[in-house]
Amino acid sequence: MNSILFLILRRLRRPLILIIVCFAIAILGLTLAPGIDDKGRLWHMSIFQALYVISYTATTIGFGEIPYAYSQSQRLWMTFSIYLTVIPWFYAVGKIISLLQDTALRQAIISERFANTVRSLHEPFYILCSYGESASVLAKTLDEKGMRVVVIESQQDRLNELDLAETRSVIPHLCADANLPENLIRAGVHHPLCSGVVTLTDNDEVNLAVAVAVKLMNPDLKVLARAESDDIAANMASFGTDHIINPYTLFGDQLAMRVHAIGTYILHEWLTDVPGDTLPPPENPPRGRWVVCGYGRFGKSVVQNLERENITTTIVEAKPELTGCDNCIVGSGMEARTLLEADIENAVGIVAGTDNDINNLSIVMTAYELNPRLFVVIRKNRRHNDTLFKQFNADITMQPTEIIAHECLAHMIAPLLAQFLTLVRNQSNSWANQLISDLVSVVGETVPERWAVSINDDDAPAITELLGKGISVSLHNLTQDPADRSIRLNLVPLLLLRDGVPMLMPPVATALRTGDRILFCGTPDARSALPILLNNSKTLTYVIDGIDVPDSAVWRWVKGFLVKK
Amino acid sequence: MNLEKVIFGFFIVLAMTLNFGFFLGDIDNPSHHHVYELYAAIIVSLIATVLKFGDRTHVGAILLSTSLAADLQLIAAAILWAALGGKMDESSLITYIVSLSGGALMANFVSVILLISETIGQRR
Repeated sequence: MNSILFLILRRLRRPLILIIVCFAIAILGLTLAPGIDDKGRLWHMSIFQALYVISYTATTIGFGEIPYAYSQSQRLWMTFSIYLTVIPWFYAVGKIISLLQDTALRQAIISERFANTVRSLHEPFYILCSYGESASVLAKTLDEKGMRVVVIESQQDRLNELDLAETRSVIPHLCADANLPENLIRAGVHHPLCSGVVTLTDNDEVNLAVAVAVKLMNPDLKVLARAESDDIAANMASFGTDHIINPYTLFGDQLAMRVHAIGTYILHEWLTDVPGDTLPPPENPPRGRWVVCGYGRFGKSVVQNLERENITTTIVEAKPELTGCDNCIVGSGMEARTLLEADIENAVGIVAGTDNDINNLSIVMTAYELNPRLFVVIRKNRRHNDTLFKQFNADITMQPTEIIAHECLAHMIAPLLAQFLTLVRNQSNSWANQLISDLVSVVGETVPERWAVSINDDDAPAITELLGKGISVSLHNLTQDPADRSIRLNLVPLLLLRDGVPMLMPPVATALRTGDRILFCGTPDARSALPILLNNSKTLTYVIDGIDVPDSAVWRWVKGFLVKK
Repeated sequence: MNLEKVIFGFFIVLAMTLNFGFFLGDIDNPSHHHVYELYAAIIVSLIATVLKFGDRTHVGAILLSTSLAADLQLIAAAILWAALGGKMDESSLITYIVSLSGGALMANFVSVILLISETIGQRR
């Protein structure tokens, strides 16, 4: 706010000096002009009286001739003074009003206000460097989880959407270019509570610029960046961007996972989706020959992953010379002729992966008429085409924005979860199926909450206190209800990280140690009950051995006395 | 030579000299202190204050604050004169007014010293 005050003062320098000079001349002249008082004597106005008269004249209030009727020379000077003072006065007022409407000044005020709001945040927060489709999903979910978000977006109409959205806590936002480091600083890159920066614009160059700037300004900050081309991704990785998100590679991986390990895939989806949602049972993609329409970044990733699963593909591409595909059928895939050439009647699946939603729908509808048994994978580019895609009801609808949002959430909400999922991918399908049925029996069908707990003095003082006394606390104790130790909380420990070594599905008998980090999944109730065990050593003692320790020292002594007897 | 600097320096020095001129003389003798000299000192001091607006440097901030201190005391003296003129003993009234202007003189003096020190510190 300081700099704005100075900006206003500097702009007002000229009108203020003009007013002072004009008033000074007018007042001086008025005191020098001879007047006649009520008794007919020669009289001169005092400086204070003159100031009074000129002040009400300049502001056009005009109380008249005070204290006595003026002489000719005084009236002559007053006439001159009116024109001398009224005009600068209005000039100054006009200047102030135009200054308040000045876009540069307004922008400065808005930026400054934004920076102040960010500075006064007292909770950890993430910076989102765009408010596009995936970022808005991300912001909404983080907000629902009670995490603070700060948004920088260069398009005002997207921010208007944010203004209208109902959020739990205020999301400070600024309409500015995230490319400029000063805007990143305003958004809180140097703030001690900033947990990370997420840059998900659809422009790789911008994402790269933001990632570079953040890593230079604050190397410890976590950076999640979207990158669609391989060289930009490699560039980002070279200076330590923590997570590089490529929606096409991610989808390709997931498709491959669906083909060879549906259980692992379900587990993955279930643990990264928005908590509280229910998931439809996914279809298992058939093995056989697939037709892939569109060999862009998406098509390439799909073909690569399908071939890794030993599935043969026939590629249909309108511009083979542009996309660099050697062995393909030329055509868009929207007309039956090309699809017949690709032998659609004997294929088991079709992938419509062009960057145009209407083309994709047209491709799958034509293909469906030719072969109604097809397994359909369709790429959806724009969220506002939702209704059309719902009507069609494909087996898999791939939407880049949702994939990006899921991936980011996995890294942001529980960093341990990302580690867990990497480990899960190396497990067998039957292992994953077993885990799903175990989890469903505890937490129900809806998407559970995931959260991490660190065993240290800040997050779990009760546990460190008991461990310090030599009392052993096992993982089992953390699954007991603090109100009644015989009831189990609806939560499951998924991963235990000790000295950097992860332990997948740790057995409940595991004794805890200071410095352990545990990933839980469970119901919201269980999540809110767990901190009681972590913070209250009395409750924890009760849960461990069923003894209710009295609160006061006197009662403890009395009880000890009674027990001895 | 920079015209802006000339005007800036002129007003700051003039504010001090006018103030000094008013201050000079027996403290309790009204005939030694003319009302128009105080008037001129106030006007020049106000202009000097406005000229100092908007300078974000540290020296600029101190210059502005000394000017504000001088304005405050000079305007206090003028209000005293306007409010109590003819109501109390002239020689004791002028004592108050001149002592207030003496305070303002100190502020103006600091302001000029800052101006000089900044000028000397200038490389070109």
